[in-house]
Amino acid sequence: MSDEIAVGIDLGTSYSCVAAILDGTPQVLPNEWGERTHASVVSFLDDASVLVGNNAKKNIITNAENTVYSAKRLIGRFYFSDEVKKAQAVMPYRIVEGPNNSVRIGVRDRIFAVPEVSALVLKEMKAIAETSLGREVKKAVVTCPAYFNDNQRQATKDAGRIAGLEVLRIINEPTAAALAYGFGKDISQRICVYDLGGGTFDVSILEIGKDVFEVLSTAGDTYLGGDDFDDRIMAWLADDFLKVHGLDLRQNKYCLQMLKEAGERAKIEVGRDGVAKIQVPGICRSPEGQVLDLVQTLQAEQFNRMVMDLVQRTFKVCDEALQSARLTAAEVDAVILVGGPTRLPIVRQSVRHYFQREPLTGIDPDEVVALGASIQAAALLDTGAAEAGQASYLLDVTPLSLRVATVGGYTERIIAKNTPIPIEKSKTFTTSRDGQDRVRIRVVQGESNRVEECELLGEFEFSDFRVGKRGDVQIEVTFEIDSNGIVNVSAMDLESRARATTTISLSSGLSEADIQTAIDKNAEVELAGHATA
Amino acid sequence: MDVSFLMEVERRSQELDALDYFQVLRIESGSSPAEIKSAYYRESRAFHPDRFAAVESVELRNRIGRIYRRINEAYTVLRDDVKRQKYLAEVSGPERERKLRFTEAEETQVRQEQKQKMEEQFGLTPNGRKFYAAALKEVEAQRWDPAERAIKSALMYEPQNARFKELLALVERSKPKADPFKIR
Repeated sequence: MSDEIAVGIDLGTSYSCVAAILDGTPQVLPNEWGERTHASVVSFLDDASVLVGNNAKKNIITNAENTVYSAKRLIGRFYFSDEVKKAQAVMPYRIVEGPNNSVRIGVRDRIFAVPEVSALVLKEMKAIAETSLGREVKKAVVTCPAYFNDNQRQATKDAGRIAGLEVLRIINEPTAAALAYGFGKDISQRICVYDLGGGTFDVSILEIGKDVFEVLSTAGDTYLGGDDFDDRIMAWLADDFLKVHGLDLRQNKYCLQMLKEAGERAKIEVGRDGVAKIQVPGICRSPEGQVLDLVQTLQAEQFNRMVMDLVQRTFKVCDEALQSARLTAAEVDAVILVGGPTRLPIVRQSVRHYFQREPLTGIDPDEVVALGASIQAAALLDTGAAEAGQASYLLDVTPLSLRVATVGGYTERIIAKNTPIPIEKSKTFTTSRDGQDRVRIRVVQGESNRVEECELLGEFEFSDFRVGKRGDVQIEVTFEIDSNGIVNVSAMDLESRARATTTISLSSGLSEADIQTAIDKNAEVELAGHATA
Repeated sequence: MDVSFLMEVERRSQELDALDYFQVLRIESGSSPAEIKSAYYRESRAFHPDRFAAVESVELRNRIGRIYRRINEAYTVLRDDVKRQKYLAEVSGPERERKLRFTEAEETQVRQEQKQKMEEQFGLTPNGRKFYAAALKEVEAQRWDPAERAIKSALMYEPQNARFKELLALVERSKPKADPFKIR
């Protein structure tokens, strides 16, 4: 065994978790106060230090403008996307436009790219692991939702690099959960991972054959999560308050945060106890100067009615995944629940009803993803695992079809969704003008044959090939999706077999120089709230 | 990692472009889906890049990556019943050398064939489908005039649809010949 170590990090929308293999078993690494999961909240303090985790979460109310949460909802997105518009309406921090339609977050007098903020969460995870293990940690496997597109994966990987980590692999959250469940168990089963997180919903169908974990299909909704459940409670509370007092709590960002916190607490309480007593004293002041309290009671039955359509939406996604895997719900041998919201009785009951079987118990929905990531991290460091018979093989798929834009706003499919990765495919392009010395292609991901309904990954420009009459020059473009689910494009002159120069002329991501600057800036940041730091 | 394995990797990465998908997965031509799956698992255990992630030699990792991408490509085609049949027919034919890899041309062909089948069955356009269905009903009731009107309407939307044309021919054949003396 080498004396290197690599950790697994579940970088969640709401909470993050870090784990490592200790004495042969995967274990969650707690922080110095014994907390095992940490709010993905970054609070920028007056003394230029940064507070991350559950303590930072308290600052969402007291230091709202300088506290960033749910950054994962923005990662790898374009500024003009709906998700960004939605976030701007509810987030107390500033979301501004950066170069190339990218998203930037403004805090105090500084502007951050979204991966830079996620990098601070990862830096905290790294620090927690280092304190817990008593040694330096440089390598990690980081998870992301299975339905993340190339932009989001690339940005997640960049975040790891900025935090000073070598990201060995980006793996899908449901796949990691399946690995944690099946690792070393010697089982042969078809399983379904139902992963309802804070901001995203994923479902993956896997076939486990002893040490091989084959993903048959994956489907998801990156706009559906526990936050949407909170929103329903918030809307109900706010509407009710408006009716009684004639004041709209949503108009004030401070009140909105109090409301959000109350909504989240009520959701957890109603799930655990069947009833939630909501009490927020002094939530706002009436125009006459009277201090008003928010007092309400939420019954389980009422809550279930509020969120039933959200729960039903998850099963549409399940239908899609099962159809792609050519299975019926009854053919699934086991169902694994992942993510905090799956603790809600309404979700468990609906899952039981849909699959006609009891979901597995004894798996912690908050920790299982990090545990799976730590297993993969250890495996990637170890060359001898296969010989020792301890290896496991993840055969994952690409969640979205890869397409190129063609004339008239249409697209042509290159690699279909649910194709096993890594994979490569080539396509030949010919020049359309005499003397043409460059070829440009636009690469997108999605299921529509209209380019505007797909997600743009980037525009590639190829040059330095033979120049000739139109139609004479053939350029073979190879599209590769690597094990991280990240797309690489290269091109070659078919006749001379010389590689063409490839430049990315349009992309949402950070340039290499941006990343280097960000790494230096990240290294300077001091994490607050640790005894030794 | 022993020398024989390294030699195996070298040999396989060199001969890769001369192998058909069955040979890539090291199975007999025309193996069953179950055999294909189990071969895919066997080859994944041998050549999965994760096994070699910590190996220093970039060259070796690149070779393994190339082999494994081809294994995935082979499995993607062979696990699909329609594609497998088409591939098997082509790779057993005289053009074998050019058909070792399932290219975009074949993909498109398979897609078009499936689409054509769908179209023939149901019609391409909503109106075409509607009139075709109406025509079928009239034919069943042996009401030839309305049947002719309906199928001609369907053909207005889809003049190229072979199935529509066939039905029109049938209607025209079955229709009782109009009495020429009554035309005036």
